[in-house]
Amino acid sequence: MELAYAFNKNAAGAGTKGGSYDAAEGSMTLLDAEPGQTYIIKEINTDDDEMNSFLFRLGCYQGEPITLISKKKKSCIVVIKDGRYNLDKLLSEAIII
Amino acid sequence: MRIAFAGNPNSGKTTMYNALTGRNEKIGNWGGVTVGSKEFQLKKEFAGDKEVIAVDLPGAYSMSPFTPEEGITSEYVRTANPDAIVNIVDATNLSRSLFFTTQLLELGIPVVVALNKTDINEKEGTKIDAAKLSAKLNCPVFETVSTENKGLAEMIAKAISLAGTIQKAPYLQADIDLHDKNAVDAEDRKRYSFVNGIVADVETRKTLSAETNKTDKLDSVLLNPIAGIIIFAAVMFAVFQISQAEGPLGIGKIFEGLFTGWIETFQGWVAAQLENSPAIVSAILADGIVGGVGAVVGFLPLVMVMYFLIALLEDCGYMARVSAVMDPIFKRVGLSGKAVIPVIIGTGCGIPAIMACRTIRDERERRTSTMLTTFIPCGAKIPVIALFAGAFFNGAGWVSTLSYFLGIVLIFLGALLIKSITGYKYRKSFFIMELPKWKVPSLKYAVRSMLERAKAYIIKAATIILICNTLVQVMQTFNWHFQVVEEGAENTSILATIASPFAFLLIPLGFGVWQLAAAAITGFIAKENVVGTLATVFALTSFIDTEELAMTGGASTVATTMGLTTVTALAYLFFNLYTPPCFAAIGAMNSEMKSRGWLWGAIGLQLGTGYTIAFLVYQFGTLFTEGHFGTGFIPGLIAVLCMVAALILIGRKVRAHFDEQYQLHKAAKAAKATA
Repeated sequence: MELAYAFNKNAAGAGTKGGSYDAAEGSMTLLDAEPGQTYIIKEINTDDDEMNSFLFRLGCYQGEPITLISKKKKSCIVVIKDGRYNLDKLLSEAIII
Repeated sequence: MRIAFAGNPNSGKTTMYNALTGRNEKIGNWGGVTVGSKEFQLKKEFAGDKEVIAVDLPGAYSMSPFTPEEGITSEYVRTANPDAIVNIVDATNLSRSLFFTTQLLELGIPVVVALNKTDINEKEGTKIDAAKLSAKLNCPVFETVSTENKGLAEMIAKAISLAGTIQKAPYLQADIDLHDKNAVDAEDRKRYSFVNGIVADVETRKTLSAETNKTDKLDSVLLNPIAGIIIFAAVMFAVFQISQAEGPLGIGKIFEGLFTGWIETFQGWVAAQLENSPAIVSAILADGIVGGVGAVVGFLPLVMVMYFLIALLEDCGYMARVSAVMDPIFKRVGLSGKAVIPVIIGTGCGIPAIMACRTIRDERERRTSTMLTTFIPCGAKIPVIALFAGAFFNGAGWVSTLSYFLGIVLIFLGALLIKSITGYKYRKSFFIMELPKWKVPSLKYAVRSMLERAKAYIIKAATIILICNTLVQVMQTFNWHFQVVEEGAENTSILATIASPFAFLLIPLGFGVWQLAAAAITGFIAKENVVGTLATVFALTSFIDTEELAMTGGASTVATTMGLTTVTALAYLFFNLYTPPCFAAIGAMNSEMKSRGWLWGAIGLQLGTGYTIAFLVYQFGTLFTEGHFGTGFIPGLIAVLCMVAALILIGRKVRAHFDEQYQLHKAAKAAKATA
């Protein structure tokens, strides 16, 4: 866990500290966001390098916009670039905006 | 000359490939329909006198594979040296697609960009300046609409003419250490900014993708955890009712009635022609071959209607939504929502279903899905279900519904079991699914898919099924001394002596007679054989006409002849549905799982499941209907308990190993972190 986290910190290049993102000012996950709003991605933190780079190739990476279309308890629909995607809870919570 | 078709998932590669080659490969409106490469010669009208092979590849977002099927694509364009690449770009998502395009342009192989789905852009008021894009990318760009054959001829002609030239890349990756993650990331960012620059220059949009639109409302309902699942259940129920049940909706049954009438007329005609021939010849020809094969072919309409409806579902964009709405439920049992797609494909045929599991990224989830997906009854099992529903349950629709429902329940239970055996708790599983734009399904494609299936079904009936039936007929006509078996001494036939030991094992399931065992065994060659063999061994030449049976009280005739009650019939049906699929599907499992342990685990699990379900249905069914357990309860119970014990032992062994591995993993991580 620790190692993977360190890796991610490097990958995203953001300087968030510790494991909790609520501590960082103004940060939240997609599931806390407002539907219909566009946000700038602050950090992607999946603990999974391959997943991070997959998201990257879809255009989902730090500094890029992401729009929340709708959300449910355990999933949400977002627009990345010009595509709509359904994300599960785990992934929604790994995208920090 | 070879031309590779590469591009993002769901950009329309296979549709274009089909249009250019005249093939009828599976298409669908979601990412990940094509999971292997396919190649075929271009039609003459496109290739001229040259011999040009088109190679259709699975969709990929980039050269770095994420799922196994993506790997096939990057591997192919890197190592197979195609003469040209047609890069199919989804024009509605240019900003994402060009990332892969710029990578393809670096390979040195001439690239032609097909800006596909431009009809949707026109409707949405998105304009892309193709000439400008072409100048920026350093390669020809053509606007195409695969579904309408628009722009394809010019595009492919250009690709053919470029073969042998060398592509100059508009963007070249800097010389970096590919093992240095930060350097790779920085490089990818630079590539994306290059792409973003181009898009900003060439594309103007009237409607922004991020605006909420009408279909978002529809999606919101379909993806609702409660409403969405009820709708999915209703849709599938309707598919089964229309294709397989009697009633006002039962189109499949109406066609079946017509069809079986023709077959019986034909069979009568054959029998009449053979009137003066020796009894053996007439038995083999009229009963064995025509009767057995005819019994199978009679159910063709049900399978065709089913394929037609599934093709409509696949083409409209619903599959991705189903996958998304089912994900939370599938997650609970340790699978991914992506496993829904193989299950739906599996209602048609298990082999493409097993291959469709490639889109699942996690190896354990992928293997589990491969293992379980054939619990859903495939098209070849439809005749078996229809036969038993007709002969023993008055054609009741619930038999078919129950068969599919039980299939799904078994998938869930099986997944739970495998989850507990393989120690799923240690792994994280993410789910992301692109929701494609909805489209009106193409009737033409659905009809083609249905006819293609019908063709395959008839070919199978005329080859494998025909051969098996002839063999069965011969083996039951003769004994080991190649003498014709006398009446009353049927037990001495070759078939009877081979099948009897198996029949013995089936006594606790309520159907321990050699005829039924023989039918179950031939079912492993092709599941339709169960019907064909039953028709042959019981010489029930007209039992496929369920309507007639109902009128003449034939159901009870069949029941008496086959020695089955409704309870044992149901047990036998379930045994055939949930034991391992046909050998071809087992072969597909083998090549997808790439692990002997998993393969044998799968076969063992399927055998055990079929046996246990049949055992429970027979024993408890008999208990309810007759007030006592059926024959062989104790031996059967012992067999089932042995299987449970084997499962527990395997689970222990696997988990012990896994815990060990995980601890090593953790120790290594901790060591690295402190270093």
